[in-house]
Amino acid sequence: MLKGKKSFALFMSLFLIISVVLTGCSESESENASSDQTKDGRVVVDFWTFWGSETRRPIIEKIVKDFNESQDEIFVKHTYLPWGDIWTKNLASIAAGNPADVIINDINTVSHRAKNEQAMNLTKYIEKEDNFKDSFYPELWNAVTYKDEAYAVPFNTDTRLLFYNKDAFKEAGLDPDKPPKTWKELEEYAKKLDKKNGDRYERIGFYPVWGSFGPGSWAINGDQGRNWIEDKEVLVNTEGKVEALSWVRSWRERLGDNTINEFKSQFGNKQANPFISGKVAMYADVATFYTQLRDYGKDVNFGVAPIPAKDEESKHWSMGGGFVAEVPKGADHPEEAFEFIKYLTGVEAQTYWATKNFDNVANIEASKKAAESEELSEEGKYVYQKAVDNLEVTKLTPVPVYAPDYLSMINPQIDAIMLGQTDAKKALDKAQKDVENIVEKNTK
Amino acid sequence: MNQAEKMLKKAETTHDFPIKAKREKKKEEKGINPNISTKKTGLFSSFSLKNRENIQGYIFVLPWIIGFVVFTMGPMLFSLYASFTNYNITSHMDFIGLDNYSRMFNTDPLFWTSLWNTLYFVIWTVPMTTAGAVLLALLLNQGVPGMRIFRTIYYLPAVLSGVAVYFLWMQLLSPSTGLINTALAWFGIDGPAWLFDPEWTKPALIIMKMWGVGGGMLLYLASLQGVPKALYESATLDGANAYHRFRHITLPLITPVIFFDIVTSLIGGFQIFQEAYVMTESGSGGPMNSLLFYNLHMWNNAFEIFDMGYASAMAWILFFIVMVLTVINLRLGKKWVHYEGGDD
Repeated sequence: MLKGKKSFALFMSLFLIISVVLTGCSESESENASSDQTKDGRVVVDFWTFWGSETRRPIIEKIVKDFNESQDEIFVKHTYLPWGDIWTKNLASIAAGNPADVIINDINTVSHRAKNEQAMNLTKYIEKEDNFKDSFYPELWNAVTYKDEAYAVPFNTDTRLLFYNKDAFKEAGLDPDKPPKTWKELEEYAKKLDKKNGDRYERIGFYPVWGSFGPGSWAINGDQGRNWIEDKEVLVNTEGKVEALSWVRSWRERLGDNTINEFKSQFGNKQANPFISGKVAMYADVATFYTQLRDYGKDVNFGVAPIPAKDEESKHWSMGGGFVAEVPKGADHPEEAFEFIKYLTGVEAQTYWATKNFDNVANIEASKKAAESEELSEEGKYVYQKAVDNLEVTKLTPVPVYAPDYLSMINPQIDAIMLGQTDAKKALDKAQKDVENIVEKNTK
Repeated sequence: MNQAEKMLKKAETTHDFPIKAKREKKKEEKGINPNISTKKTGLFSSFSLKNRENIQGYIFVLPWIIGFVVFTMGPMLFSLYASFTNYNITSHMDFIGLDNYSRMFNTDPLFWTSLWNTLYFVIWTVPMTTAGAVLLALLLNQGVPGMRIFRTIYYLPAVLSGVAVYFLWMQLLSPSTGLINTALAWFGIDGPAWLFDPEWTKPALIIMKMWGVGGGMLLYLASLQGVPKALYESATLDGANAYHRFRHITLPLITPVIFFDIVTSLIGGFQIFQEAYVMTESGSGGPMNSLLFYNLHMWNNAFEIFDMGYASAMAWILFFIVMVLTVINLRLGKKWVHYEGGDD
């Protein structure tokens, strides 16, 4: 009898636990449903970004606040998700049918999300606007279209420039107003800018892959700006790319592994950045690098120039990336979401973002405005204008839908070249074959 | 059952309550006495005691069973099915037969790279950590004063784990400023670039794994202390030297633990992932894919390009490989593992 009671009690407690868990779930669901609208009847638009840093968060939240105050139909709720979480969370929420209404996502993979039905086709909203796509840089707009339909709207972008130390130029007897234009000049200048004390280098004129212009970027720079894959054509082992990578490797051979490693181990951020600390005289980095110079390198007398071209006939090809605003598939309020995206990518918000962050933005008019903005110092305007001009020759590397992991075939071969284990031709031939295989498999 | 009996005994002795007698009486009647069954009002009152106890037992394990079926078996069966599809979470899940499997063996060069990297890692770490742990345990089993302190020191690294340790090792292994190369330089050795040199990335990780050998050491230490002293004494009397004593007494008696260690570290070795994910740039697999381990390649397929079908197929192949190796291990184990109490 005692036992019977006990088992009954056990059963009851299990039952209670389960029912509490279940009601807990249903309660939170009903909360979600009610948060679709604010108390005064405005539609709530969920907006996810990964901008949580102390510089970026206030800026994006100010834009959201301005939008919310500008009308009384929509209320945007900004949620910050860490960089490492946001994409998986987005995907999981799409699969569960309960995604955000607007999300900031990577520009290079828009077509994948379009193909895999993770992002919404925005064409029908865009068609209602006049000349909507003409407000943006064409290279960026191309990246957000899949089969001629737009699945996102470009938000920001970046571009790489050559920063050079004018004082070091004078010291080496070079004209500080004539930065190197070609690879040949770059090498010539770099040798003059090297400063040696006996056998040890005190300053290195230039080393191609320090900063944020890697071997892959040089390969595209040296191949008339052609990507690794262009329109299903695999262009990995082209003459231009082979030549470019051998050229990058030759710098390592000239300076020696020890010098490179020793210098690299002393690099850090802020004051310890090699360009700011004067360890290198020329440095290829994103335009936003200017903010580091502004904040931590007050005495650095620097100039900015386009990335040197392969030769006189070639263009100064540079590389860029960026982010877009898109509506995840299955979002509850796509129409309201697009209203917000329109604001986010409009001139006002973009100018604000550009000047506060010193970031390149996708909106052409906003870019021009930002370069003249009173918010920036004279120096800031100079760098920003250079960055805006540089967008002309800046290539994106959108990942083709038919070769999602092509870089994992190319990168190890680039590693092998940089380490001097194989010559560039052989390594790129191998990568060419591997990438061709993927493309063939995915397009048959 | 054991526990229940103990409790009953306790009740009997403390309260002088003749439960046992009652129970035996009940057993005699086999629950057919109508008086007793009508008296019971509990939920399972119509069952016999044995069945009732069984049901209660199942209720106790129910949380685990629910957890297993819902959170382990369900997803496992799902992934088995997914491995025959082109599942990508959002847009399609079409049956494509054995395509994923044939792609693995025929067209994905990184599959072989990752499998080779993983095998290399397993082949080195399993024997080295096992031998290292035994050796360490033997050293720490000596009667030297202050031994407890040494044991603590050698065990401590095993307590630390996860990403923090990997970051620490990335600093230790740093080519020009790291402690390891600094120490090597004292002996005039120009240390390699470790995590930046594809020839040295895997050895670097293997060395790092040796650091956590204290965990296995603890197991061996416990089993070493369980070896009867009398055996050593009589062997010494018979003229056996230290090597003989180790070879013919110590080693056979700790084989069950060695066997356990080998089986678990082999399985664990194949699962290596975090180290490579954390210690290479953006989890890319290191210079020349030298740290692209099987699980990292699988993870990249699953969560970078969202080819869940292919990743599921990879997971099942890994499961199969580990399964086969474990079965081989169990078979071979019969030949060299010595169980003091006999095989059963």
